[in-house]
Amino acid sequence: MKLCSPEGNALPTTNMTLVDRPKSLEGLRIGLLDNTKPPVDKIMAHLEQRLRERIPGARPFYISKRIMTQPAGSAVMESLRQNVDVVINAIGD
Amino acid sequence: MVSTAFVGLARNQARVLGMPDMPMVQLQHPVGGTQLDSVLAKVDASLDELLSKLASPPISTVAAVSAVSATRSEWIEFDTSDEWGSLQTDFAARGWSDGMLMAPPTEMRVAAMVAGSGLPPEKIIGELAPKMGVATVERIAANAVMAGCRPEHMPILVAAVQIMSDPTFFLKNIQATTHPVSPLLIVGGPLAKTLNINSGSGAFGPGPWANGVIGRAIRLMLLNIGGGKPGEIDKATLGHPGKYTYCIAENEAASPWPSLRAERGFAADVSTVTMYGGEAPHNINDHESTTAGGLLTTITGSIAQIGQNSVECFAEMLVVLSPEHAATIAADGFTKDDVKRAIYEDARVPMSRFAQKNIERRLWRLLPLRYRDRPMDTMVAMVQRWEDVIVIVAGGEGKHSMYLPGYGSTRALTRPILSGDGSPWR
Repeated sequence: MKLCSPEGNALPTTNMTLVDRPKSLEGLRIGLLDNTKPPVDKIMAHLEQRLRERIPGARPFYISKRIMTQPAGSAVMESLRQNVDVVINAIGD
Repeated sequence: MVSTAFVGLARNQARVLGMPDMPMVQLQHPVGGTQLDSVLAKVDASLDELLSKLASPPISTVAAVSAVSATRSEWIEFDTSDEWGSLQTDFAARGWSDGMLMAPPTEMRVAAMVAGSGLPPEKIIGELAPKMGVATVERIAANAVMAGCRPEHMPILVAAVQIMSDPTFFLKNIQATTHPVSPLLIVGGPLAKTLNINSGSGAFGPGPWANGVIGRAIRLMLLNIGGGKPGEIDKATLGHPGKYTYCIAENEAASPWPSLRAERGFAADVSTVTMYGGEAPHNINDHESTTAGGLLTTITGSIAQIGQNSVECFAEMLVVLSPEHAATIAADGFTKDDVKRAIYEDARVPMSRFAQKNIERRLWRLLPLRYRDRPMDTMVAMVQRWEDVIVIVAGGEGKHSMYLPGYGSTRALTRPILSGDGSPWR
C-alpha cells in the first residue's frame, strides 16, 4: 500500500558561488568572525597570533557578532565585505 | 571551524544558506567550557588544514533538489500487513518515528485530514527550519495522521506551522540548540473546549484529551519537515519530556484577568494558537499564603535561579498560574501586568551567587551596561524587561503554579485559528 511521506524537502536554493580561493594567503586580509560563543574570542586571538607568525604580511581583521543566537547582520557582513579577503568563522559548543 | 559534535548541523546550515561546499575544519568536541590550553592545542593541531582550506578550491558535493519534490508529496509503497511490527520498524528506519506507535498515513486518512483544514493539499503553509522543509497542507496532514490527530485538529496545526515559519520565532535555534527547549502550543478561546483540549487539572498531562496528539503532531513535523533529528541536528544535551508532546489550553474561565489572546488584541469569539519556546515546567508550591504579597514572595523566590538562559539574554519567560493562586493574587487588586512587574523586579539573585567565570564571561560580556563594574551585591534579574514575562492561567484545583524558562531570541507569537476560507473558525 502507498503511504504519504511526512517529510518535507526544501525549496531549491540558488547556490551561491564561493569566491575563488587565493593561491596564497601572503599579504591578505584574513577575517576572524567571533560568534560570541565562549571561548571563541580567545581562539580568535590565538589564531590572530598564529596567522601573523605563519603568513608573511598577513593582516588579521577581528570582528564580532552582537548576539550569540542571531545572525551576524548586515553591518557585520558589510564590514567583512570591505575589510577581508577570506574569513574564518566557527560553529559548535 | 566546527566542533565535531556539530558537523551535521554545520553542513545542514551551509546547504540551506546556499553554500553547500563551504570548506570546514573540525575541532574535537568539546571546545566551550574546557581548559583554554587544551582548546588552543586543538586549534594549533588544525592550523595547517585551516590555512590549506582557506587557499584551495572547495570540492563540490551538491545534489540538486527538484521543485516538484519540494512541494509535491511523495507516496511510497510499504508492506502494511504488519502495522504494529514491521511497518513501525520501516518508519523508524526512515527516521520518521518518535519511538511510539504511529498510524499509517494512508490515502484515505490523509485526504480526510486535509479536508479538515478546508485547504488544498498542495498549498504551502510555511517552511520549517533548520532543513527549511516545505510544509504543505498534505504533509502537515500526513504527520497529523501518524500522530493520531483528528481532522478537526488541522486548523490548529496550520496556525502552528505559520507561527513556527515566522523568522521572529527563531525555530532554527530552537531546533538545533543544546538548551532543552521545545515549542509549547497554547490554545486560547472557545475552540479549546470544542476540540477537547485540556486547560484544567493536569493540563500538561497526562490524560485522554487532544493535547497529546496535537503536541505530538508538532513534534513529528519538527522532525520530518524541519529535519530536527535528535542527536544530529537537534543537539539538546538532555532535552525534556515536552519534546515528545507539548500542548495546553489556557483556562480562561478560571482566570481573573484578560486572557493571553485578549492581551494580544483578539476578539472574544476568535480562538488562537500561541507558540512559546520553553523549557519543561518547573513547579511553584505555596499552600499557605493567602495574600498576593505572600504568593509573589514564593513565586519570585522560585523563579530566582541562576542557571537559566534568560539571565544573560533577552529571552521571555512563561508563568502558568493555577486558578487558586491567580484568584488570591487578583483579590488583592493585582493586575496581570503587576504580576509581571513583580517577577521582573523581585525574582533576582545577587551577583555574588554566580560562579566567577559566568560573571566574567557571561554577565559582564553579554550585558555590560547592567553588570560590568558593578558591586557583587548587584541584584541580577531573571529577565531583562518586565514585558518579557508572559502570564497565563491554567490547571485545576490546588496550590501549585509553574514557570517555564524561555530560550534566547525566540518570541511567543499568536495567530487566529482559521477556516479554509480565511475567516476565524468558530
